[in-house]
Amino acid sequence: MKPFLASKATHARRAKRRTRTRTGPRAPLALLYVGILAFFGIFFVLPISTALRGAFLDQTGAFTLDYLIEVFRNPVYLEGLANALKLATASTLLAFTLAAPLAWIGQRFEFPAKRTLSALLLLPMMLPPFVGAIGFRQIFGQEGAANALLRAAGWLGPGQVVDWLGTGREWGIVSLNALHLYPIFYLNLVAALANVDPVLLEAAENLGCSGLRRAWRVTMPLILPGIFAGGSLVFIWAFTELGVPLMFDYYRVTPVQIFEGIRDIGSNPFPYALVAVTLVSSALIYFTGRIAVGSPPPAAPGRGGHSGQVRSLRGIRGTLCSALFLAVCLLAALPHLGVILVSVSRDWYRTILPDAFTLQHYALALGDHLTVPAIRNSLIYASLSTCIDLLLGVCIAYLVTRTTIAGRWLLDVLAMLPLAVPGLILAFGYLALTRRGSLLNFLDPTRNPLVLLVLAYAVRRIPYVVRSATAGFQQASVTLEEAAQNAGASPFRALTRITLPLIAANLLSGALLAFAFAMLEVSDSLVLAQKQGDYPIAKAIYELSTILGEGRYLAAALGVWAMVFLAVTVAAASRLIGTKLGALFRG
Amino acid sequence: MITIENLSKRFGDFRALDRIELKVETGELFFLLGPSGCGKTTLLRHVAGFYQPDEGRILFDGQDVTLLPPHRRNTGMVFQNYALWPHLTVGRNVAFGLQERRLPKPEIAARVAGALRVVRLDHLAERKIHELSGGQQQRVALARALVIRPACLLLDEPLSNLDAGLRLEMRGEIRRICRQFRLTSLYVTHDQQEALSIADRIAVLNAGKLLQVGTPAEIYRRPRNRFVAEFIGEGNFLTGHIVGRDALLTIKLGNRSLLAAAPAGHAVSTGSRVVICLRPEAIRMSENQLDGQAWRAKLVETTYLGQVAQHRFQWGTDSLKVAELNPRPARVKPGHEYYLGVNPEEVMILDE
Repeated sequence: MKPFLASKATHARRAKRRTRTRTGPRAPLALLYVGILAFFGIFFVLPISTALRGAFLDQTGAFTLDYLIEVFRNPVYLEGLANALKLATASTLLAFTLAAPLAWIGQRFEFPAKRTLSALLLLPMMLPPFVGAIGFRQIFGQEGAANALLRAAGWLGPGQVVDWLGTGREWGIVSLNALHLYPIFYLNLVAALANVDPVLLEAAENLGCSGLRRAWRVTMPLILPGIFAGGSLVFIWAFTELGVPLMFDYYRVTPVQIFEGIRDIGSNPFPYALVAVTLVSSALIYFTGRIAVGSPPPAAPGRGGHSGQVRSLRGIRGTLCSALFLAVCLLAALPHLGVILVSVSRDWYRTILPDAFTLQHYALALGDHLTVPAIRNSLIYASLSTCIDLLLGVCIAYLVTRTTIAGRWLLDVLAMLPLAVPGLILAFGYLALTRRGSLLNFLDPTRNPLVLLVLAYAVRRIPYVVRSATAGFQQASVTLEEAAQNAGASPFRALTRITLPLIAANLLSGALLAFAFAMLEVSDSLVLAQKQGDYPIAKAIYELSTILGEGRYLAAALGVWAMVFLAVTVAAASRLIGTKLGALFRG
Repeated sequence: MITIENLSKRFGDFRALDRIELKVETGELFFLLGPSGCGKTTLLRHVAGFYQPDEGRILFDGQDVTLLPPHRRNTGMVFQNYALWPHLTVGRNVAFGLQERRLPKPEIAARVAGALRVVRLDHLAERKIHELSGGQQQRVALARALVIRPACLLLDEPLSNLDAGLRLEMRGEIRRICRQFRLTSLYVTHDQQEALSIADRIAVLNAGKLLQVGTPAEIYRRPRNRFVAEFIGEGNFLTGHIVGRDALLTIKLGNRSLLAAAPAGHAVSTGSRVVICLRPEAIRMSENQLDGQAWRAKLVETTYLGQVAQHRFQWGTDSLKVAELNPRPARVKPGHEYYLGVNPEEVMILDE
């Protein structure tokens, strides 16, 4: 080997470069930081603040609380708010009732097919509930399959009906919300239970406290943060749900009232006031949940003996546990099974199953003037928004985990905030921001919603990509990058040659999730896509479902297509990231 | 040659490095030794370029590299956890630095093969990192650092993750390679045995300060202060006053006195208070009267460790540790009095 020392020429070259490195890589990082802040400022903070301004400023620009006060005086708006609260509370309670026993059993016992069933439990989260509404109405409607079944069994007379969906179909909305959202509760509860140090339970037992008493006095307080975290997410989701009430023709609820108010967004201040009330409520609930979570307690020494806590159940008890998991899976899948049946039925009225089957709805759906462009549009919008998410997600995660840039915590906070802001509010903000006469009017979605829809999808799903990218950066040791720099790679080369390949699975799974959600994003799509040619899948399904006659079947066929697409994407994501997928949905 | 001039670094209120002055000669295997948190790794990372100092400069062969980013310093670093890239094979890990330098492919292949031969892993070039043992991973990390022909080799506790046997073996390997290629090497460790066994010179650090630089023998036999003496090897530390200065110093320890050779370059005057250190192995013990200065002390307990026995004696109000090589345990009995002797040259006088 030649001598190891660097030559004089090398030193001279280095000396020349020194002036360049004096400002160092901090300048591009600072630029990146400012760029990301600007992105959030323009496309997240500004639309929301514009919507809020509309609630608090009158036509002369003076501050007023009149609109807000009027919201609480007007019986229609008050009823809308009360209904939204009622639906959200009932949905949250029902989701908790479904999830809690499953989480407890799953955490404590081993039983047949547990892994598969636990994975299946999460599936409903991925299925769009507003599509499921088509099937749910078909099954539980007054002339639906459930009543036909009871009639066939002789439990109902020929003229009798059971009103499963409740007055105004409220129970339908609550059930569908709960069946869609219980996995979020489940994941948070499982995580919280897994974090309970078994030694603490043993200590309680040692002091004579066991069984339900121990669960109440020790386990419950310890998992309370997990319950709050899951509960706040579920509540906000249900509180601001637009698609499901719309599909049930339930209009006296705030999200639908805001949606209806969009038509006269230029002249009517009350939708703004409703947005303000919804946003403040959501943010309050979100932050209450976050504060309740607090920082995780320090790991107790000598921990890790979880294996002793999991009991293996065989025989009838094991089978019962499996059956319970399976029953919930089936129940949650029921609306979507209904959609599949609707999509292949020729006629289905007052019978348990459709009278005759056909595939013509698929053929028609694929030739429809609404569906084909919708699929194409959704693919374009979702792909572009995923690219933005990926780029922003990697940059944010890098700045947060790999640099000491001042104020990087702000990026972390901003990237998570979209979880607290419902899609409906953001979309409303975008509309308000691009009204005639405003600075961003050139983005007006009535001309072409592409930019706004892509941005709305991207902003809404950025938390998932940032979470998965951050997890990747945290897992990949920083010394691997340092070793690359030491071997002569610039910080950027070290990132692209070492860290990014190492965290590719995290990035891909985050991106797939973002893509899957964007493909079926409901509220943004309903609000922002206003011309038929620009409709994404969600809006096309909604429009089809409102058409009498064939519409419902075409909507179901398009819904099934979308669900299959979504299932494949999510399956790919969960394969890539394994069991950690759930971590993305914890509060 | 690496020159470190007046280097200081703070992390918030914590002073990690305090005006460090150091010169590492070309071809020297230089150790940075100290307890956890003393600043040795921080100093190494400054040399690698991962930290920028608040004050001071770093020079390689007289060229100021203080502001150069890590990838332009041409240092080869072996990380404590090796930092091998799990998605690349052994060969690709080693080739990485050469690819970054845009060398022609045939030269990369030849140099990778050469570097792997040096660490005796030429048969494993196609292996994945997770298929290697800890010792093999350590060798790959070494090959990766060597192959770029670095201006200096930086080793950050490279052996701390290996078991005792492998540690000994790799210690020898590292010394062989450094000597073979006359590498200027900076080696961080908290293991005094590692430092004493292979270093050309050692710098002892504590709380961000450089306490002493010297050869292993100088550091061990002439520690400048109590911390260095305590950190490297064991010692009996006694406090007394100098009461006489002739050819030898007379030190009063309570009602006992001790003769010591005056330390070179260490100003001591009659009446001054001093701390002395007696290495346990420097004290001879016998049942019979010894030549030179000796005194009687009672054996309190004995710990038998195979090649050495550690005895604890009570000498007046002080407790003394004495090490006996090749011990025969049955010969000594706790509770008995023995003669203990020490040559005046073996008595170390320290700054407190």
